[in-house]
Amino acid sequence: MDAEATNSKAIKTQALHDFAEYVNPMKARILAHAGLDIIEGRREGARVWDVTGRSYIDCITSAGSFNAGRRNPHIIAALKAALDELDQGIFLICSKAKADLAKRLAEITPGDIKYSMFGASGGEVVDFAIKLARGYTRRPRIISTLKGYHGHTGFALSAIGRDAYQDPFRPLMPGFDRIPFGDAEALASAIGEDTAAFIIEPIQGEGGIQVPPPGYLRAVREICDRAGALLILDEIQTGFGRTGKLFACEHEGVVPDIMTLGKSLGGGLYPITAAVFREPLGDFLVANPYIHLSTFGGADLGCAVGLATIDEIIGQDLPGHATAMGERFMAGFRQLQAKYPEVLAEVRGRGLMIGLQYLDQSMGPRMSYQLAQRGVIALYTGNDPSVMRLQPSLVISPAEVDEVLAAVDGAMAAIVAGVADEPAARGKETRRRRPRETEEV
Amino acid sequence: MAASSEILEALGDYQVQCNGNARLRRMQKDWTKRLHFQARETGDWFTMVVVQGEITDFATGTEGTPDIVVFAKSEDLCDMFWGDLNPSQKYLRGEIIVKASPEDVMRLDAITMIIWPDAAS
Repeated sequence: MDAEATNSKAIKTQALHDFAEYVNPMKARILAHAGLDIIEGRREGARVWDVTGRSYIDCITSAGSFNAGRRNPHIIAALKAALDELDQGIFLICSKAKADLAKRLAEITPGDIKYSMFGASGGEVVDFAIKLARGYTRRPRIISTLKGYHGHTGFALSAIGRDAYQDPFRPLMPGFDRIPFGDAEALASAIGEDTAAFIIEPIQGEGGIQVPPPGYLRAVREICDRAGALLILDEIQTGFGRTGKLFACEHEGVVPDIMTLGKSLGGGLYPITAAVFREPLGDFLVANPYIHLSTFGGADLGCAVGLATIDEIIGQDLPGHATAMGERFMAGFRQLQAKYPEVLAEVRGRGLMIGLQYLDQSMGPRMSYQLAQRGVIALYTGNDPSVMRLQPSLVISPAEVDEVLAAVDGAMAAIVAGVADEPAARGKETRRRRPRETEEV
Repeated sequence: MAASSEILEALGDYQVQCNGNARLRRMQKDWTKRLHFQARETGDWFTMVVVQGEITDFATGTEGTPDIVVFAKSEDLCDMFWGDLNPSQKYLRGEIIVKASPEDVMRLDAITMIIWPDAAS
């Protein structure tokens, strides 16, 4: 091993040790078990290289934060140019960068969506969306969905569809109810005159890439309208081309009252998120212009990045590419489903938001491990380890799609064959308890 | 193959280790679960009851409705309870099967990390 390789391995070992020691020991352990004890070095396009130089295709992309690719050079250039003139800006005064990005968002979002409230995290703008819904309607109740995911801040946490995220922190915000996802009748039964809003993801991400039945979004739009409730679409993961349209709600021609955006808006380079909303709701801010403030939300640097990212996604027709690559993936996965029925139960998704439903929960971690050995980073969902999410960058090439498919094929073959290349099993030893360090040997 | 009595002996040691570990007891105070274990080759069942992080009972057989069910070879059960085996790798190889919520599976691994930080793979 040459000196450079030895040095990079030492850097990785130290970083993994320090992460476990000073950031999150259990997270480090879980990732190591799944073969994902990787320290990112070079990043480019759909790929990332471990600091030791090993190449991986990134199918996690921080749940869809790198739609325009890792370290997109055009977005980097925009950020560098902004750094020559700007900083985060004074959040209490008007900003040209904010105004430019808000105007652009009004142009590209569906229907009469006009206003933007910026944030620095997804949870922050979901919180604002719920506050706006309550403030505008003066109604208390929020309906969300089981297994839904909206972030970990106050209102967002209360809307999330997973008890495990909520239980240690109860009591939560009052007035939140959950219904099954994809069931319009359930919404019709639950909604009432006290309902401020129904919040959903167009496709559930953390919930296991759950695609609702055709017509669902149109039905919930009508139900909300009849009840006088607002429809909040959380497009933080599905937005900016991920599903083959710029926004997933466009597949059904639905215009939400409020839409939350994040992840790829920041181009993977600068944190910026937004809640965008229809013109009538702006009256709430007319009456309450300082009701929601954010020091870092919509920083001038972030707005410059957001504009460049939007230009890149639209200019390169990444939604169209996502559709084509998604179809290539789906055709390949359906062949693998036929080849490995004892592993893969279902393939679902839209565009480059794809879920592999395995037959049991242990398959998720096992497949993560096997895929990492074959140069693919992919992770099972938090809500259900039997589902693996694949959300690669939208710049992924046909050859790279085929590379992922070959890796999945090899991983499934290894699992079916008895996983010969997983870590060697411990040799035969006595089952008697070994002496502990504190005991005399 | 480990006899039922050996697994019970290992379980007894595991109870002492868990209940005597202040860090683990603090971490687990929200964890009340009933676990069933089956030694796959012998078919023997074992029940363990955890109340607010304390292992209050264990015995042969199945008692009550479990929150967590673990299937493993009898020797792996013994080694796991003695702390001679990190069960995570066997779980990932499909040799130890756990039927439980994702949170409980992670919690089992966390317990292992706390009481047996240097257990073998």
